[in-house]
Amino acid sequence: MTPPLPPNWKCPRRVGFLFPHECRRTTPVGCPDCQNGQIDDPYYSRVDRYGYSRYDYYDDAYFFDFETSYEPDAPDAGSMDFTEADGADLAEPGGQFENDMTES
Amino acid sequence: MWLIYALGGGWGHLTRAIALARVAQRDRPVLILTNSPYAEAAAGAAAVRALPPCATADRTRQEVIRAIGECRPECLIVDTFPRGIGGELAGILAGLAARKVLVARDLNPRYVAAARLREFVATHYDLVLVPGAGEGLHMGDRPAAFTTAPWLVRSAHEIPDRDRVRTLLRLTPDEEQCVLVCASGKPDELDWYGAVVRELLAAAPVRLIAAARPPQCPEECWVRYWPAMDLFACASVVVGGAGYNTVAECLAWDVPLVARAWPRAYDRQELRARSAGGRVTLVREPPEAARVALDRMRDHRRREPNFVTGAMEAAVRIASI
Repeated sequence: MTPPLPPNWKCPRRVGFLFPHECRRTTPVGCPDCQNGQIDDPYYSRVDRYGYSRYDYYDDAYFFDFETSYEPDAPDAGSMDFTEADGADLAEPGGQFENDMTES
Repeated sequence: MWLIYALGGGWGHLTRAIALARVAQRDRPVLILTNSPYAEAAAGAAAVRALPPCATADRTRQEVIRAIGECRPECLIVDTFPRGIGGELAGILAGLAARKVLVARDLNPRYVAAARLREFVATHYDLVLVPGAGEGLHMGDRPAAFTTAPWLVRSAHEIPDRDRVRTLLRLTPDEEQCVLVCASGKPDELDWYGAVVRELLAAAPVRLIAAARPPQCPEECWVRYWPAMDLFACASVVVGGAGYNTVAECLAWDVPLVARAWPRAYDRQELRARSAGGRVTLVREPPEAARVALDRMRDHRRREPNFVTGAMEAAVRIASI
């Protein structure tokens, strides 16, 4: 059973498989990430929680479709790939790092 | 001159820096820049420029930049934090006429992503050294990264003989070995170690190694000594944290470690402990630590030191760039 929460409580966990961000839900009840507060760090090891593990597999037909719809004037597809840097932009790093000079 | 940037709390960054300095200073001057509260306790092992451990973040950043400017190092070796622990190196590395080496201990991957550290390291560093397998996996392979053996502050031939160790630990003739409690980390964590000693007192010989005696630890059990790994020959089991040095030293000695994985902003102690191949048992509360330590200390075989610090290879790698 979830204990009573203080007024204005916001979830301190970080959630998000691709782009970690502050959760900020006002209650863990019904939360699909922490599962009613049972998991301290839902995405600690970045392993999938939903049983799908083949993120790097795509059927060949997928790429054929890309080739046939290629348009020379379209923006370079490579520039639209998500990178670690995009993740950082979305991760809301805020002030949690590089402020405590006694950390380790 | 080589300047080793070793800012950060506790013993970890300082000890790793001393391990490298002791080897490298045979061939050139080496200075360690640290804000560890234990800088004074380690005096004599290497040249240290100690910044006040309680200074504000801004003051520490300013002191770091001033120290680097005054030292004008030919080589800057940065432990763990590519941008500096307060981000203060980010603005000066590009303009610094020095070879730059990163010592890549484990870092919280959230920080790696948030601060874009892979890109930063690839742009600003000439060499990445990983001080032991399993550390630094987050940094990728740019620039060239080399994994060495763990950087121990001693190699086997520097370890005191067993009689000397017995004297240092004040073991009685009927005490062949003891439970060695290595209290390091943050000051507010010392009480945990003292409580472990209190739990063990009636059951086994126990000694606590620490710079300061925790209140619950009797005076006769406290040994003020550094580095603790000198004393592991007479330890049947070690109780400590799961920081880099404690884990690496116990693995080097092949002595069981009963560890509390302390939360850190950057270091993932629990992950390190779980990656240690069963030699580390994680515990949380002092009674549990004592119970597990008594169980693990049944292995009374005599251990002989047989290890070489990875700092020797590291010094050669750095000198070659």
